[in-house]
Amino acid sequence: MTQNNLSIKLYTAFREGIIILTVALLAAVVFNLARPAGINLFGFSSADLIKEQQSKIPSITLSKAYDLHRKNKVIFIDARDPLSFEEGHIAGAINIYPDDVSLHATSLKIKADQGFIFVTYCDGPQCPLSKETAHSLIQRGIPTVKFLVNGWSLWLNAGYPISKGKK
Amino acid sequence: MKLKNFPRPFIPLIALICRLTLATIFFYAGIEKIVNPVDFTVAIYNYQLLPDLAINLSAIFLPWLEVFIALSLVSGIYTRGAALLSAMLFLTFATALTINLVRGLDISCGCFGASSGTISWFYFARDLSLFCMSVFVLIYDRGWQYFFS
Repeated sequence: MTQNNLSIKLYTAFREGIIILTVALLAAVVFNLARPAGINLFGFSSADLIKEQQSKIPSITLSKAYDLHRKNKVIFIDARDPLSFEEGHIAGAINIYPDDVSLHATSLKIKADQGFIFVTYCDGPQCPLSKETAHSLIQRGIPTVKFLVNGWSLWLNAGYPISKGKK
Repeated sequence: MKLKNFPRPFIPLIALICRLTLATIFFYAGIEKIVNPVDFTVAIYNYQLLPDLAINLSAIFLPWLEVFIALSLVSGIYTRGAALLSAMLFLTFATALTINLVRGLDISCGCFGASSGTISWFYFARDLSLFCMSVFVLIYDRGWQYFFS
């Protein structure tokens, strides 16, 4: 095949490609406008989707979480900032901020394969960090994740074991 | 209508087989996504590569592009354009897969709508194979008229 032949084929391909792209775009927009289940062309909201996905993450009660802790079947994940973690956290917990989940994903997957359940927590009933960390964990293929609402305050007030410092 | 140049020479015949295989894959993939655009928006979002503004538009446009590529490949009309677009799409999918496999995201491939499996290097290899088939069609396809008169 000569260079010239290939150039002609590529030129034809580009020209035809643009025609197909245009026709497909028109068909897509028209069909979407006409169908009852059509969606807004620019109306996607990742914030709404994350909220919806996070609402599906199961929660766990304090007593159930403590029970698992006693049986050594749970790994607590403290989603608060490192300073709060150092001041005090659930004994044995790991400090993972939502954005840092990818750094721990491999080691956590190994623990998940060993049968551990992960419970994320932060502080305050409205605190979003525990859900965000739980969501990131699920996204990275760790299935057994629950979150403990207002976890730190509940655990502390119940007098359950805590630790201080970086570990 | 009369058959000619069949089954030899082999290269145009292989190009025809590749063309029809690609058409079948694109048609199935496109229809699955057209039926349920919302699921596809989630699949695109999960790749975390596009801004919110582009997600719905991509979810509406891409399936139709796949269907039109399939129709072009089957009919033999604008085959080269369809093969070029097909190659570009598979290269884009392979790049998106690689980025998310390296990131360690455990997300649905979204390749065939909601019924797709989780991304893996197998999907990457599959995309590269389909990319090679598209390039083969782009270069060697001779159209239906080569086989029928």
